[in-house]
Amino acid sequence: MTSATTWATPPTRTELIENLVSGVDRYNPSNVGILEDYLYHQIRSEEYDCLANLAILKLYQFNPDLHNPDVVINILIKALAALPFPDFNLCISLLDERPVTANPDEPDPLPSLLPVLQSLHNLLQQCRFPAFWTLYRSEKAESLRDNYTVEVVGFENAVREVVVRAVKAAFQRIGSQRLSSYLDLSGEELSAYAEKLGWAFDASTGVVLIPPNPDNQIESTVVQENIQLPQLVKVITHAQAA
Amino acid sequence: MAQQRTALWEADLDEDFHDVDLNLAIGSYGQNGLYDDAQPRIDETTLLVVQQQVAQQAALAQVPDAVKRFILHFHQAVLENNLAEITVAYESGWNRLTEKHYAKNEWPEAEVIAPLVNDDQIFLILYRELYYRHVYSRLQPDIDDRFHSYENSCELFNYLLNSDGPVPLELPEQWLWDIIDEFIYQFQSFCVWRLKVKSKSDDELILLADASQVWSSYSVLNVLYSLIQKSKINEHIVALQEGKSQEEITKIVGEFGVRPLYRMLGYFSIIGLLRVHSLLGDFTLALKVMENVELNQKSPFTRVTACHVTTYYYVGFCYIMLRRYPDAIRTFVSILNFILRMRQYHTRSYQYDQINKTADRMYALFAICTALSPTRVDDNISNIVKERYGEQFAKMSRGDEGIPAFEELFLYSCPKFISANPPPYEDPELFQGYIEDPPVEPAQRHLSLFLSDVRAQAPAPTLRSFLKLYTSLNATKLANFLDADEEEMVQQLMVMKQASRSVSRVESQKGLLGGEMISTSDLDFVINENMVHIAESTVGRRYAGWFIRNNEHAQRVLDTLKNSPLPVPPRPTQPAQPAKVDGVSAPANGAPKPSGQRVAWGGVKAA
Repeated sequence: MTSATTWATPPTRTELIENLVSGVDRYNPSNVGILEDYLYHQIRSEEYDCLANLAILKLYQFNPDLHNPDVVINILIKALAALPFPDFNLCISLLDERPVTANPDEPDPLPSLLPVLQSLHNLLQQCRFPAFWTLYRSEKAESLRDNYTVEVVGFENAVREVVVRAVKAAFQRIGSQRLSSYLDLSGEELSAYAEKLGWAFDASTGVVLIPPNPDNQIESTVVQENIQLPQLVKVITHAQAA
Repeated sequence: MAQQRTALWEADLDEDFHDVDLNLAIGSYGQNGLYDDAQPRIDETTLLVVQQQVAQQAALAQVPDAVKRFILHFHQAVLENNLAEITVAYESGWNRLTEKHYAKNEWPEAEVIAPLVNDDQIFLILYRELYYRHVYSRLQPDIDDRFHSYENSCELFNYLLNSDGPVPLELPEQWLWDIIDEFIYQFQSFCVWRLKVKSKSDDELILLADASQVWSSYSVLNVLYSLIQKSKINEHIVALQEGKSQEEITKIVGEFGVRPLYRMLGYFSIIGLLRVHSLLGDFTLALKVMENVELNQKSPFTRVTACHVTTYYYVGFCYIMLRRYPDAIRTFVSILNFILRMRQYHTRSYQYDQINKTADRMYALFAICTALSPTRVDDNISNIVKERYGEQFAKMSRGDEGIPAFEELFLYSCPKFISANPPPYEDPELFQGYIEDPPVEPAQRHLSLFLSDVRAQAPAPTLRSFLKLYTSLNATKLANFLDADEEEMVQQLMVMKQASRSVSRVESQKGLLGGEMISTSDLDFVINENMVHIAESTVGRRYAGWFIRNNEHAQRVLDTLKNSPLPVPPRPTQPAQPAKVDGVSAPANGAPKPSGQRVAWGGVKAA
């Protein structure tokens, strides 16, 4: 996700959804089902469309009775993996006042899961990847895992992509132990994962080589001034007129 | 599809307005205490009407003659669609009379002055628009003012949008902007006010419980979207960008869009949406509605300075919330330079104060951005920032300990956030719970989200200051310097790396959301296993701008000197002396005497 344009308009978005996201029909509460279905489609097919999901939250914001905590949690889970982009907080921004759903038969899972999700987000955001995996595998996140992320196809790999984005920008070579703690993979799994990325794994030294990319190539430069003729037009014209 | 949409929204609009009328009717008559009568008898109503008329005549007699004359004149100007006269009345007459007669109290009510304008309902709506704006800006609006100003806005927009065809009204651009601006301001003010549940009187609680539609987010958005669609302003802007001819554009925008009134209201409504979405915390959508608007100072829509400034403020702020600091910085620099240049022309404008306040908030936001994304930036602006916010800036550049400074500047300069829904006034039980345990205020919610991002990159400034000293350094050693755990520090380095990258708009791209990843920092590093390598980019000294500016200045001075007439000789009786210095000034008119003096004076200046 290097270009914000694909973020704003993912190629996987259908015309129907595009019309909802970009038109005034996005405010029509009766369209919430279409957008929610699209969210579950994203969850099943490892797609992601932030603006469409924000449109759901917008409808919830204006129509608190539509509010569906399961959908909100799934949206936040999808947004987690968008880091380092701020999608998660953009979603949270739209969760206005607490929704007033005092239904004792169906307790709202959001109040208990939101702090867990926010902690996970903070850890990922601060690149504290080992701590992220510890919390994610802990008892605290059990309900999140068992009821939600288990349904999100490729969730763990999506988090690993967040890791990969951070690692490949900062490292040229990285110790396999360190990488293993970041990706929560070891042994065979780790080398297979590195291979898939095209990262060379040197088993003798235990070091992984990360191919050059625009962010891990550094260069000291001196930017010199470059004066263009148009800047001098006034001066030269005047000299000529004088 | 478009046809269908328009229909949908128009239908909604009608409905809303009906609701509102009902509620408001209750609101306004409630004061008379007659509502307990289930079946008010006709003679009593008639009596009341007569009484009211008498009271209004008496009130009219109290209105100063200057004000009456002004209203007559103003009405005439509106009837004739005389833009010049309307502008004078609007921009100067109204404000002058306000200072003189209504600095501390309301203008006469519309019903009182109605006989002066033959009960012209349209003029009375416009008059009320000004009347309520005055109440909001100078006095303390009470709940009736808030409800009635909403009702009046609805009547105005209803008239504009639901008449048969475009209405034959023309108003100055400035006023059109103020109508939209004020509409949103009153909406925001109402939302803030209704959130303060504890200070409500019993009467207010009853009214609020009944009136969930008044100033609802949906009704406000409806108005803005309807104006945009009626005027076909988006299609208009696109057509302009595609270089379509005037005839083609006329065909595209239709009978509404060709009229300046609708065109400008449509454009201002886009800016209005940008603002409303920002207030509601939807920063992505705020920028998305601006898709077709080009941010530059040449656009034909930038003639209203207040609108121009508002646009940049909100766009810049949204970019901050999208963590796109370079774009935010660019936005602020561009508008702040514009304001600096405009300053000399605007000191007397009645909006000057407002623009200055917004500018000051943008300087604060600019300080926040440059603290989070240290970049080489416009000297002019950063000097002013240093002057105004130098202390906060220094704190913010030091990471964690700067959090209070971030908090202070953010709360000072952020928009007045609102929540989309009212507290549950209509449900006593929920309402009680709401009072006991009120949710976090919108501004605090957005502040804490913003601060969580700031905290996440808090270690960056310290690391940066260390890295600046080396070209390569072992991670273990660096961790020792910092007295930190090595693994944690390596993770912080990754944070720092990510903080030095940002999405930023690319020149050629359309829309405000697009962009590509760029590097924002002059200090870059990479980790090779455990060795940190550092590279710094430096910018050579820049001479060109200085040279060009001063050269042009010197040329201007020289031209002025050459073109000014020589001073009159002080002693014309003296015989002409041969000039000591030739060639310094050799104008064709033969008055050589003062040349000696001129040289001396010139010499002093040169020294």
